[in-house]
Amino acid sequence: MSEQNTPFDHRPDLVLGEALRTALAPRGRSEFVARVLAAAARPADPLVDVLARWSRLGIAAALLAALAATLVVGRGSRGATESVVGGADPEAVVAGVQAPEVGVLFASYSDR
Amino acid sequence: MAEAALAARARAGDRVAFGELVDQYADQARRVARAVLQDPDDADDAAQDAFLAALVKLHQYDAQRPFGPWLMRIVANAATDRRRRRTVRRAESLEEGLVAGGARPDVVAEREALRGQLREALARLPPRRSLAVTLFDVEGYSHAEIAEMLGIPEGTVRSEVFHARRRLRTLLADWRDEG
Repeated sequence: MSEQNTPFDHRPDLVLGEALRTALAPRGRSEFVARVLAAAARPADPLVDVLARWSRLGIAAALLAALAATLVVGRGSRGATESVVGGADPEAVVAGVQAPEVGVLFASYSDR
Repeated sequence: MAEAALAARARAGDRVAFGELVDQYADQARRVARAVLQDPDDADDAAQDAFLAALVKLHQYDAQRPFGPWLMRIVANAATDRRRRRTVRRAESLEEGLVAGGARPDVVAEREALRGQLREALARLPPRRSLAVTLFDVEGYSHAEIAEMLGIPEGTVRSEVFHARRRLRTLLADWRDEG
């Protein structure tokens, strides 16, 4: 890392490189190599692979189903609201509701 | 090319040939992974994943080209994926570690502290940036090779190396001024 080096220098910075190399120096090389070779020698579990593939497919299918259901339900509820309101003034719809007459409500009891 | 022959033998199921490739690139792969991950165990896990992935993908390796850049691309991806999966909590503890500093009386301890700060500074950089500077200044790959490994334009590699160097050189200069 000499002072003449510019940040855009095309050559590797030997001082910085060496400092980083020392900082990143791994330990236990032979243990690591042995560990990788042992892992490579271990047979892959085909059942786990198959299950993992299935689960991915299952999640994708569930997401699609949820999306479709949301669209259908959303469209259905919008249609229901429109059919109730029918383009009329909402206040008129609410104000127009009349309470049922008490006589009609208790007619079946009074007839007995 | 000896590496190509080794790769061909490894692809054919020769475990000894694969072992030679692992032995040849173990240090480099672990350094590159550690540039992204900081934690040595995480880095070793990522490097191991990369070697195993390389073994599976050996049929994709073009024997006309050098083996190192092809392998380092896999290492870079493995380390970046692992870093992405790490928790936010861990990143926060990293921030705290960087802020902590202070004078150390012993030279050996100071050097170790600098190495720790460099690792932390590297790990705080965006993964692509720490990979670019490590592959260029530590491993000696060219801008063009790094561009191919990381799947970015050569100009972007230069820019990433520039920004990483600026940060790391400041750290080194500060350490020298204190020393």
